[in-house]
Formats: sequence, C-alpha cells, structure tokens
Amino acid sequence: MLRTALASMLLLLAGWAAAAWLTHDFQAWTDEGARRLEVALAPVAAPTVIVEGPDAAATELPALLAQHGGATIVDFFYTRCETVCRSLGSSFQQLQAALQAGGGHAGQAPRVRLLSISFDAAHDDLQALRAYGRGLGADPAIWHFVRVRDEAQQQALLRRLGVVVVADGRGGYEHNAALLVFDAQGRMVRVFDLAEQQLALDYARHLAQARP
Amino acid sequence: MKRLRAACTPARQGAAGLALAALLAWPAVRQVLEASMWRQMLLQYPLWLLAGALLAAVLPQRARAALARWNAHGITGLVLAGVVLAVLMVPRLLDLALRDPAVEAAKCAALLLAGAALRLSWRAAGRVVQGFFLGNVLPMTVVAGQLYIDAPLRLCNAYLLDDQQRLGRWLTGLAALLALAWLVQVARWATAPRPVDAAGPDAPEAPGPCTRKENLVGVRGFEPPASTSRT
Repeated sequence: MLRTALASMLLLLAGWAAAAWLTHDFQAWTDEGARRLEVALAPVAAPTVIVEGPDAAATELPALLAQHGGATIVDFFYTRCETVCRSLGSSFQQLQAALQAGGGHAGQAPRVRLLSISFDAAHDDLQALRAYGRGLGADPAIWHFVRVRDEAQQQALLRRLGVVVVADGRGGYEHNAALLVFDAQGRMVRVFDLAEQQLALDYARHLAQARP
Repeated sequence: MKRLRAACTPARQGAAGLALAALLAWPAVRQVLEASMWRQMLLQYPLWLLAGALLAAVLPQRARAALARWNAHGITGLVLAGVVLAVLMVPRLLDLALRDPAVEAAKCAALLLAGAALRLSWRAAGRVVQGFFLGNVLPMTVVAGQLYIDAPLRLCNAYLLDDQQRLGRWLTGLAALLALAWLVQVARWATAPRPVDAAGPDAPEAPGPCTRKENLVGVRGFEPPASTSRT
C-alpha cells in the first residue's frame, strides 16, 4: 500500500508538472493565450519574406516594417472575408482615425502605422487589395495593404508569427485574428486581442516614442 | 460469447493492439482523426486507450504480479489514467499536438499507457475505487464539455467554433452515458446472486489468472467513445 501511495503521489506530481509546462504555470489554457504570453516574453522577428501591395513596391517585410521607424500594428485578413475581418477592418478604421487626429503628445505625431497582410494571395491580387483599401477609406500615408506573393513564404510567415488559418468549410477561412504590434526592428513584440484596440494603440505609440 | 472469449487469446489481443497502434500512428490516419476537434478527442483518444488495453494482454504473469505490488486496489493505475485524461483535456494540447511532433508522441504514449493501466487496474479497483475514479473523471469531462459549449470564442486555433460546441455536447453526453453504464453494472452486481454462485460456472472454463486476462470490463468501460462516434 505504501508503494502504491508513493507511485500515485509521483504520478500526480508528474501530471502537475506536465500541466504547469503546458499552461505556462497555469496562466494560459489555450494555444492562443500561450502564444501571446510567449511573444510578450520573447519578441519574434518577422521573417524576410517579399511582400507587395498597391502602395508599396515589392520589398522585404522587415524592411517595410522598419521603413518609417516607430511602430506598426499588423493584422492578417483576406478580402472575401465576411466575418472577423469586418471587425478587424472597422477596428483599423478607428485606429486610423485616432492616428490621423494626431498623437496628442508634444505636438509631433508618433510614427505608428497600420499594415494589413492578406493570407489569401491566390485570390487577393494588387487590384483586389486596392479596391478593399478604398472601400475601407484607408489613408495610404498610414495604412498599407500587402500580400505575400510566394506561397511557401506565406506559409513560413504565418507559422513564424503563430497565425493559424483554417478553412471554414464554406469556401472561406477562420483565423486567430489579433492586433500584432511590431517595433522598428521588425520584431513582433506584443499580440493584442481585437477588443484591446486602445491598448494596442497606446502600446504602439509608446513604442514609437521610446525609439526615436 | 464463450467462443468469442476463447478466440481472444492474449497473443491475438496483443497483435490487435499492436496493429491498432500502428494504424493510429500512420500519418494519413492521424490526419483524418485530427481533422476536427471531436474526432481527436472522441475517436483518437479512445482508440489509443483501446490499443493500450489490448497490448496489456501480452504482459507476462510475472510482470503483472510485479506491477500489482505497486498498484494496490488498482489505485496507481487509475490515478495514472485520471491524470492523463485531465492533462489531455487542456485545449492548448489539442493545438500543440498538431504542430509539435514531440507533444503528439507524448500524447499517444500517455494514452497507450493509460489504456493499459485501466485494464490492469479496473477489476482490482472494486466498486468503491471505481466510483471514486469515475466521480473525478466524469464531472471533469462534463465541465470541459460545458466550457466547450459555452465559450464564445474558439479555444483551439486549428478548429472551428461549431466543431468545438459539438464536441462539448458529445463530451457531456458521453460522461452521462458512462456514468449510467457503470451504475447499471453496480445495480446488477448488487441484485445478482452472491459471487460464489456466479464464479461457479466460470471456474472450470477459465481458472483465476486466465479470467483476469480475459476480463474486458475495463476496456468495455471505455469503449462507448468509439461506439458513439460510429453512430
């Protein structure tokens, strides 16, 4: 009986350890939660994939993110999207409006930019991206739309940044939509929930000011 | 029934377990079983448990006796199964198993062990320990099921919301079904003539150690997941 008690205790401890490892010490029960935690602890550098858009010549993503210094809020979308990208779109519209209104700090506008990356390159050509941006009233000085031309590079980008895209069975896609904040070195430093739009903006502004 | 039992020799059971494990580890089969959340939890999990239970049949008597010394009243085995099932219910694991081969391997190995442990411990556990085990595992399953039903957001990045809700409903239903099955068994045992009479007809056909080997109660207890999904 003593041996049984000992073995059971060991098993319980092992289970506890496995659960603690799996949930980052019981902080994150979902993979998305763990991803956000991991990014906050260790920034993820954007891979050097070639992106192109109606307002941006083909360029490497890290270079595009570093172009203006400051910070960039990034989202992933596809133009045919009817559900979550709609709220992403309106979220970005509000962010753009806030950025247009100015930084509200010491006169000079913080250099925060918006970047929407399509993960449906097969369908979203430059024309589709331009039309989509116009439809949302995007200001080319603030908000860019790009796609990754090469399929393998696109997969590499999604994997690196932890974006999971699943077909929804109705011809569209479902993905873990979020606001990804990148710094001037092209590193993803935080992932915010769609509901945390103001937090994402404040964080990006802070980041842009901290690194002039 | 007796003929079926006689046909299920330990060697055959072991071979079936091995074949099932090999099939489940096959990439194409894995892909099919992991294409949706409910298949992963309600098909793949129970099938790995079953493979483990079948493989336990080939364990030699000496190893069984050695294990039994560490497994009084089947407690260690049921603790193992309970811990494995609890950890494998964390939503993050379902996602992680898809993209991390090490986690996937650990998951399958844990289920295999849990299946074997269930079989080796179920009969030894007796009604009280069995009831304690189910009293922990089944409510845990119901809680996970309700969480999956009620969560407004996807808990797994790789799976869709309706898949998650369906899994939640089935998990809850499965827990209820297993509880009912066990209670029926207990009721039958309580109302049946004393075990002395019950052992009588069995004894000449299958002596002690063999009865234990042939005993599939533990496996049967965990079969409903597979049979539910077949319907």
